[in-house]
Amino acid sequence: MNILLMLVPLSLMLLGAAVWAFVWAVRRGQFDDLDTPALDILADDEAEQSVPGADSVN
Amino acid sequence: MSSLGLALAAATAQVGERAICFHCGEPVDASSPFVPDGAEPAFCCKGCAAAAQWIRDADLGDYYRLRSQLASRVSEDAVDLAMWDRGELLVGHILECEGGNEITLLADGMRCAACAWLVDRALAREPGVLEVSANAITGRIRLSWDPTRTHLSQPLRRLVALGYRPYLAAGEEHERARRSERNRWLLRVGIAGLGAMQAMMFADALYFDTAQQMTLPMRDFLRWVTFLIATPVVFFSGWPFLAGAWHELRQRQLGMDTLIAGSTLLAYTASLLETIRGGTHVWYDAAVMFVFLLLVARMLEQRARALASAQVDALARARPAFATRELGDGGRELVALTALEAGDIACVAAGQLVPADGVLLDDHGCFEEALLTGESRPVEKPGGAQVFAGTICRERPARIRLTEVGSSTRLSQLTRLVERAQAHRPALARIADQVASRFVIGLLLVAAATWLAWHWQQPARAFEVTLALLVISCPCAMSLSVPAALAAAHGALAREGVLAVRPEALERLALATDIVFDKTGTLSDGQLVVAEVRTFDAFDRQQALRIAAALERDSGHPLAAAFKHVDSSGMRVERIETVAGAGVKGCIDGIDWRLGHACFATGGRDDEAIWLGDGSRATARFVVRDSERADATTAVTSLRALGIAVHLSSGDARAPVARLAQLVGIADPQSRQSPEDKLALVRGLQQNRRVVLMVGDGINDAPVLAGADVSIAFGAGAALAQQAADLVLTGNSLMRIPEAIAIARRTRKVIRQNLGWAIAYNLLALPVAAAGLVAPWMAAVGMAMSSLLVTANSLRLARRRAR
Repeated sequence: MNILLMLVPLSLMLLGAAVWAFVWAVRRGQFDDLDTPALDILADDEAEQSVPGADSVN
Repeated sequence: MSSLGLALAAATAQVGERAICFHCGEPVDASSPFVPDGAEPAFCCKGCAAAAQWIRDADLGDYYRLRSQLASRVSEDAVDLAMWDRGELLVGHILECEGGNEITLLADGMRCAACAWLVDRALAREPGVLEVSANAITGRIRLSWDPTRTHLSQPLRRLVALGYRPYLAAGEEHERARRSERNRWLLRVGIAGLGAMQAMMFADALYFDTAQQMTLPMRDFLRWVTFLIATPVVFFSGWPFLAGAWHELRQRQLGMDTLIAGSTLLAYTASLLETIRGGTHVWYDAAVMFVFLLLVARMLEQRARALASAQVDALARARPAFATRELGDGGRELVALTALEAGDIACVAAGQLVPADGVLLDDHGCFEEALLTGESRPVEKPGGAQVFAGTICRERPARIRLTEVGSSTRLSQLTRLVERAQAHRPALARIADQVASRFVIGLLLVAAATWLAWHWQQPARAFEVTLALLVISCPCAMSLSVPAALAAAHGALAREGVLAVRPEALERLALATDIVFDKTGTLSDGQLVVAEVRTFDAFDRQQALRIAAALERDSGHPLAAAFKHVDSSGMRVERIETVAGAGVKGCIDGIDWRLGHACFATGGRDDEAIWLGDGSRATARFVVRDSERADATTAVTSLRALGIAVHLSSGDARAPVARLAQLVGIADPQSRQSPEDKLALVRGLQQNRRVVLMVGDGINDAPVLAGADVSIAFGAGAALAQQAADLVLTGNSLMRIPEAIAIARRTRKVIRQNLGWAIAYNLLALPVAAAGLVAPWMAAVGMAMSSLLVTANSLRLARRRAR
């Protein structure tokens, strides 16, 4: 049972790491929009960054 | 009925045959030059065609595949974006960030995630734009750009060209507060989730040690570790409940939060005491799971409502942030809205919002007062007429001498009126809170009695048994029963096209016994149709209609919509001329025609009908009126079937109101009602203990909407009416109302079932626990099963579609 004395603190450290990662992700705005990024995977790969001329506006 | 019905049927058929715009889905006008010949998709207007062209050229054509809702029509109005480049006007909105500036914008027309996707990609390609993040749920775009490389108006021009119009959000400070509030909630839920998992793991180790093989130091070690994990969950994640409970206690009104905070703190402190004195059981897991589940339920409910209110956050959009002021020497300057004063002369460009109330200085002006009246047709105004803040200037620019600014404008007054009316709503007791607070009191009494009984019989076990009783009866299922059902119901309603904006909307809707309709824009659909045609001197009816349609065709006159469905191709109109406030004149096949008011077209007396003539002799007389919504009759019938009394109270004249009431089957309609009369009707019904549901549209309805027990406004109607309403219909179908009521009633039933189950469970568990017979693991399993059952029952609401 003594192995628990090492495993439990280890799991606590992992928990600490998980919490830190979560806080980091929230602060970085990873959860701001949960719907739009899901569409990225459905879009075809963009062949190249083609920008139509700005004069096509208006 | 017959001529109206026929006209309506003809209109529907024609729309059915027509092509719809590839971009926005609106019918494509046959005379439009953007109807392509081949396999090309059709477009309704130049704006949509240009937007689609750009999207295709930019390789963003996936947008059309990904979107779940059609785009909004791209307006062809030129939008003046120059003000966005004036840094001094944006103070408080712009934030310095790494490499440039950052601003948060509200955008109109972002309807689904694909819109946000498109905006993200399109703006990111503009030169000088550093970062974009668009969010369809909140309707906000965060944009950072490098001011040395581009002006802000450049990416915004792209945004406008795609059909999304930017508006200033409430200011950077407010936006930051909103974001950090949201992030704090996320952190609370996340930490509660992670903590609950860990605490459960250690608790399992303790529970499964049924044979007592674990050494005491090991047991205490595990308990202290669980304590370490549970503490932040209870106090950080559970803070909203603790704060809510404190608030409720101070208000001397026991409610849900008291119950939640009480149970959590009890389980937590009892466990801590047991840990310290080495007692037999700890219940940390119960405390953290409780906090986690409830946080998730509450967040789901809030998210559903946030989505609803973001879409009707129209009032923020109705206030322009800038105004153009005319200086003494005739020059113009752009100033912030707050700098305007009464007596100033404001210049409003076509398509822009009027900044404050004032008097029109030009001879003519054309204003769209949709915000105030729900009427989307522009209103012609003569010089000297009152113009109101929040209305949109159409067709030509206007000069306005301001009379009222800021909080004294009519818009602000109405907003205040609405707020006051809302504050005076009759209080409907909320069943959940009622049940909960009775339960809390009952539970405390039972606990006290148990402690006394055991103290008298067997003092050594009194504390332990009382704790077990309190923890076992910890009303997990009871507290979940309401938020889970509400979250599911909000989702179901949103899918039906009904947005519940206020938290108590559903409960009130389920209780509604009477429904009061306002005619304009609710039972009628605002579409004009020619209801009656009379010709003179044996002139051909069809020919008269065709001439009228041809004259109206190119006039852009609001009445043109009524003749839209008459085929007038082949008629060439020469020398067409619009006479403001009178009608249209033009020459067809060498004959001069006049169409408009009687005195203009025929020289006769004005009778509110439309006359066709040559200026002195009448040829035909048309009666144009609103058509009723296609499903009005069905909706009224279904409402009756739900046992709801239907009333009609309109500000319109007697004859059209009576006609409409007869058509859809409403007895005893009331006409020529002022907002005060309508409010009196509602109050009268309320005094007879009826619960009134008001369906309204225009701004004159806003006080009534707010005064009724529960109210529904149309998404296409006045923004202020939406602000005052509890629910907003996004679509145009009246059938949504009976459906929404059915969902609300089902929600109420499910909440009752859930509460019934939770109470039954607690009633069963209580005596057993009071007798000291329940092991904690049994209580834990029972509690989990009961919570699952309640959640599953609530989810039925989300699944089953309304008939």
